[in-house]
This record gives sequence, structure tokens and C-alpha cells, in this order.
Amino acid sequence: MSNVILFNLTTILFGVASAFYLVALYAGNERISCYGSWSCVMAAVVSTAALGVRWYESYQMGIGRIPVTNLYESLVFFAWAVNLSYLAVEKKYDSRAFGVFIMPVAFFTMVFAITNDDTIKPLVPALQSYWLHAHVITCFLGYAAFAVSAGAAVMYLLKSRCEKAGGSRGVAERMPPSRVLDDLVYRAIICGFPFLTAGIITGAAWANYAWGTYWSWDPKETWSLIVWIVYAVYLHARITRGWHGKRAAILSIVGFAATLFCYLGVNLLLSGLHSYGG
Amino acid sequence: MRKSPEATKADASPAPADRLWSLLTSVKLAVFTLIALAAASILGTLVEQNLPLEKYREIYEDWAFAIMDRVNLFDMYHSRWFLALLALFTVNLVCCTIDRFPKMLKVVRNPRAKLDDGFAESLPLMGRWVVKNSDPSVASRYADAMTSLFAKPLVTHEGDDVHMYAEAGVSSRFGVYVTHLSIVVIFLGAIIGNAAGFKGYVNIPEMESVSSVAIRGGSRMRELGFSIRCNSFTVETYPTRQPKAYISDLSVLEGEQEVFRKKNVIVNDPLRYKGIWFYQASYGEVRGVVARIETRVAESSSSETLVLPPNHSVALPGYGFIRVVDYIEDFEGKYPALQVVFEKNGKLASSYWLPEGRPVSIEAEGSSRQFSFAGIAPRMYTGLQVAKDPGVNVVWVGCVLMVLGIMMAFFMSHRRVWLRLSRRADGRLEAILAGDANRNRLAFEKAFEKIRTGVKEAGK
Repeated sequence: MSNVILFNLTTILFGVASAFYLVALYAGNERISCYGSWSCVMAAVVSTAALGVRWYESYQMGIGRIPVTNLYESLVFFAWAVNLSYLAVEKKYDSRAFGVFIMPVAFFTMVFAITNDDTIKPLVPALQSYWLHAHVITCFLGYAAFAVSAGAAVMYLLKSRCEKAGGSRGVAERMPPSRVLDDLVYRAIICGFPFLTAGIITGAAWANYAWGTYWSWDPKETWSLIVWIVYAVYLHARITRGWHGKRAAILSIVGFAATLFCYLGVNLLLSGLHSYGG
Repeated sequence: MRKSPEATKADASPAPADRLWSLLTSVKLAVFTLIALAAASILGTLVEQNLPLEKYREIYEDWAFAIMDRVNLFDMYHSRWFLALLALFTVNLVCCTIDRFPKMLKVVRNPRAKLDDGFAESLPLMGRWVVKNSDPSVASRYADAMTSLFAKPLVTHEGDDVHMYAEAGVSSRFGVYVTHLSIVVIFLGAIIGNAAGFKGYVNIPEMESVSSVAIRGGSRMRELGFSIRCNSFTVETYPTRQPKAYISDLSVLEGEQEVFRKKNVIVNDPLRYKGIWFYQASYGEVRGVVARIETRVAESSSSETLVLPPNHSVALPGYGFIRVVDYIEDFEGKYPALQVVFEKNGKLASSYWLPEGRPVSIEAEGSSRQFSFAGIAPRMYTGLQVAKDPGVNVVWVGCVLMVLGIMMAFFMSHRRVWLRLSRRADGRLEAILAGDANRNRLAFEKAFEKIRTGVKEAGK
């Protein structure tokens, strides 16, 4: 299948980009990090094409459906969204130092995707709904934003430690100031939070239309609520109690860990209604 | 709601009501209940919910089982303590709103229009400069510049001093209240649904009807007030033999009369009648066999399946009733075939042999239909989830409010700019510009810088 070849190429590009960013950060070479950016842009083009091709190929098989319906497809879609969010951040903050903390997330997601079944299967009756599109897309855009936030939070922790240790040197020197990183942690969360909220709501609407219950405390639903609560706590702690810096950064990392568990842990470790692996 | 331990403690202190109120209005309590809810939820996903009790006995040691059963861990989300936690959360939310909303409204309605020195110093963004041009028109030029660069200022004069105040994005302040209200609305919808609705399930064998359904999680039955008949149940498959669609053909009957029919009740496309929804959920076989006949009106592309149990008449508009009378394996020595008769007004009208898989055209009253015998097969039943939830639309209103509120709270920002023109001790005219934003300060810093240079420029 040509879409799988394109996704494999995407994986390589993500890996190459991560490597370039890593080398650039240690060597302090702006040219090399520029190569990283170009790899990301190419990966964006190739992975977007791959999604399109996969969609098209499903129609050629006579079972046309959006390519976000099983674990493989959700992983590649997540990686696609992380890459695009990263490029948006790189452009907005005009710094390539983020790359090494965010792009490996996309790379390892793709590596994990490759170990899963990549064939295009027809949709089981439960998934044949227009709600599928809205639900999956909103959820994964939210997840991608949380990945960016957690990446920035890790950077914040490194950078602020260097700043405290008396001036920045080496690797940390090339990172944006901790104040900017702290702001990015927050900004990424306020972008992701409405998407997560919309993802939970579209999921509830869909469940109500398919099963007659909008909320049944299924493990997936419950974990999405837990993730929502972690970020709600972050937002309250930051806005009303002035949590900035280290504590906020750690909370963002906890939030992303919960997100990953909601996304993968629930399917791999717990049983429930979401057994199709999305 | 049961009293929380904190509340009991507060009762003992000198000003119990105040202490209780400040507790109920604290964000600390909100964060505490949120974390408690999250922790409880994690527990609820680790201990699989609502299994039969014997299963838990197998999984856990006796002492662990006893403790878990005691604290309702097997149906945790409906336990009193979990509901109490939700109630505490809601009370906290409502109290916070009662406490803060009027204050916010006051600030929004009566903004601080004057910029004194102490206040200016307290604001995150500030710039001051000496106005070289002491032309009296400078104040109005500053006001115009503020209008074009930001928003029209409110101008107040105090002695020689001129104060200007401008703001934008006030609705950002309401976002948090809309969001919090939305949670209460969603809970309200859930309570309405629980009190006035029901969830049930029912299995209907083909060509049978039911007028009541079993309530989920109990032994009670509920009368529908009408009947539902299953005309047929079919499974469509992909060429790979994976299931493509589970299709129930359902009719709604009032008395004996069919009042509504939906031929394609599938997963993700329920039947709705009088506020009660029927969802395709499961299927299976019941005792006995039935004859299946695919029939379609000539020139129509959609066919329906007639399910004919032995000695059972099925009404077919224009054709009267159709009934199976015989079945043989070797019709004309070749294929299995079904003999059917059409009856009108209790009289035999006509009789046909339908060979398996070979459509036969039969005319009646000017219309023509094709009948194709699809074989003798086990009789199926369709399993339906049944739900009535009068609160569900309230829940959706809450959901829309929530997204709206979150967008208002985080993507809008209440930006305020003050300007003061005053005479310094040395007689020179000084301008102080100060600004503040409740969200997204970094972006506002850039905007403020533009306002500062623009306004300063306008005075030259």
C-alpha cells in the first residue's frame, strides 16, 4: 500500500529532524537546526499526502472512510498533529530549540505505529457515524497541544535550573528565556483544553446517539475526565493561585502522562467500550 | 448533602458561618474536590465496575472484598460518597460564583477611571514621558490616538489633571462564570434524566411485538404505551465476511394499527417515537425457523425482507396477506422452493411457487412486485437498548455553554489602558500611560508598546 510507504518515509523524516535538532542544540549550529526544520516541513507534506492517499485507497477498496479508525491510524494522525503544532510553535516563537523536545514525541509515536497492523479494514457498525470525524479530530488536536505543552515544560525545567545556577551556558543558552517557556506551557494548554472539552462532548453526543447514554463511566470516558480535571486544576492553580514556573511545569507533564494513559494505557491495560483501539 | 469534616470543624470556631463560607468559596476546596474526584475515578477504572459479585469474590481476597463492598467500590460512580463528592463540588462552584460574580460585575460596571501614582505603579505595564508640546489640545489628541489604536477612552477631569480610561474584551471576565454555570446545567440535565427518564432493553423475535421493556439494572418492567414489532433482522457483511451492518426493520403499533415504520434501524441510527429511543444493540437466534422472502416494488431499488414463520400471515399493502403453505427441496427436480398464498378478506386469492433465488413477479391492483425466496433460516431476534431522557437537551445546552465559556475565558482578554496628564512640581506636563490585561499578557505587552508610541507620537 502506497500510504504505508509514505508513512514510513514520514517516520524517517521525523527521526532525521529529531537528530538534527539534537545535534544543533549541542553544537549550537543554526544551520543544522535549519535542516531539522526543513525535515519537519517535508514530513508535514509527506504525512498529509499519506493521510490523503490512505483515505483515497479506502475508497478504491470500496469501503471509503476517514483514516482515523484504528490504533495505527490514530497514532499517525496524532504524530501528524504534533508535527504541525510544533511547526506553528517554531514559527510563532521564532526558535528551533523546541524541536528536540517535541519532535521525538512524533518520531516515537510513528515507530510505535509501525509495530501495529497497518491494513485498511472496513468499519465495524459501531464506528459508522459522522460523529467519528468530529470526535477523533478534536481529541487528537487536544492531545497534540498537550504534547507541545509537556515538551515546553521539560525545557522550562532545564532552562530554569541553568538560570538559577548562574547564567545560562551551553545547551540552555540556546533555549528561549524561561518566562517565554512558562508562557508556552500555559498557551498550549489553553489551546488544547477547548479541544479536549469538545472531544469529550462529541464523544458523549455520539455515545448518546449510538447507545442511548451520553456518559456511562466507561474507562476511556473516565480517563478523559481525569485528564480534563488535571488541566482544569492547572488552569485554576495558575490563574487564581498564581502557580507559575516549576510547579506549573510539573503539572503540565503530569497532564500529558494522564493523556497518554487515556490514549494508550486504557486500551492496552483496561477493558471497556473503546476496544477498537482509537 | 452530608457535612464535610471541615464543616464540622468550622462549627466549633467563633465565627462558624464565616469560616464555612470562606471554605465553600475557596479555590483550595475546588482543587481538593477535583483531585478527590480524579483519584476516585482512577480507582473506579482500576476496579472493573458492576461485575456480578461472584466475580469479585474470585478476584479479591475475602478481607479485601469485604472492605471494597463496604465502600461500594463495585458500583462506585453511583455510591453515596461519590455522589456526595459531586454535590460538594457543585456547592463549591455555586458558592464561588455567588461570592465573586457581584464583585466582578461591580468592577466591570464601575471601572477605576483615575490613575493615581500608587495604582499606576501596581500595574504591570507603564510608561511615562514629558509632554514637550503644552498645547491645550494635546489631551484630545491623546484621546483620539487611544480611540484609533485601542478603544474610545472615558475622560475625566480632576483639577488640572486629565484621566483617560479605555477597555476592550470585557466579556472575557464572564467566561469563567459561563463555564462554571455550564457544569451546573449539565448536572441539572443529568438529574432530570435520572428522575424522569429510564434506560431499558428488550429482545424482540422476528414477527413479534412487545409493549413493555425491562429496566436496566433491575427486575422491573416498563410499559411503553405502544408496541414495537420486529419485522425482520438481518446482518449485512463485507466481502471479507466482517459485519457491515446490523439492520432491524421495526414498526410502531398503536393498538393493532401500524403508525410508524423504520426499515433501517442500525447502530448509530436509532428509531425514535414519543420521546423514546430504540437503539440497535445485539441480536441472536430464537427457537424455530422462518422463510425469508426478499421483495421489492418493480423499478424500486430498495427491497424489504418478509419473514414468514410457519402458519403466520403477514400483511402486504395491495396484496392482502401472504402466508407460507408448503416447502419442497426439489421443485421441478432442481431447487428448493416455497409455496405461498395470498389471501384477501379471508379468502384465498392466489397461490404461487417461489424457487429459491429466482425472483417471481406478481401483480396486484395495478402495482407489480418481485418476490425472491431467500431460503429457510433460523428465526432471529433483535436486541434493542431503550432510553428516554428528557434531560438530554439540557445537557447539550450545558455542553455548548461550556465550550463557549472556555473560549471566552481563554481567548478573549480584558485589556485596560489608563492615561493621566498632570503638571509636575517643576511645572512640566507629564503623561503616564499604564495598562493591564487579565489574559495573554505577553501579547498585550506588544500591543501596549504600540499604543504607547502611537499616543506619544500624537502629542507632538
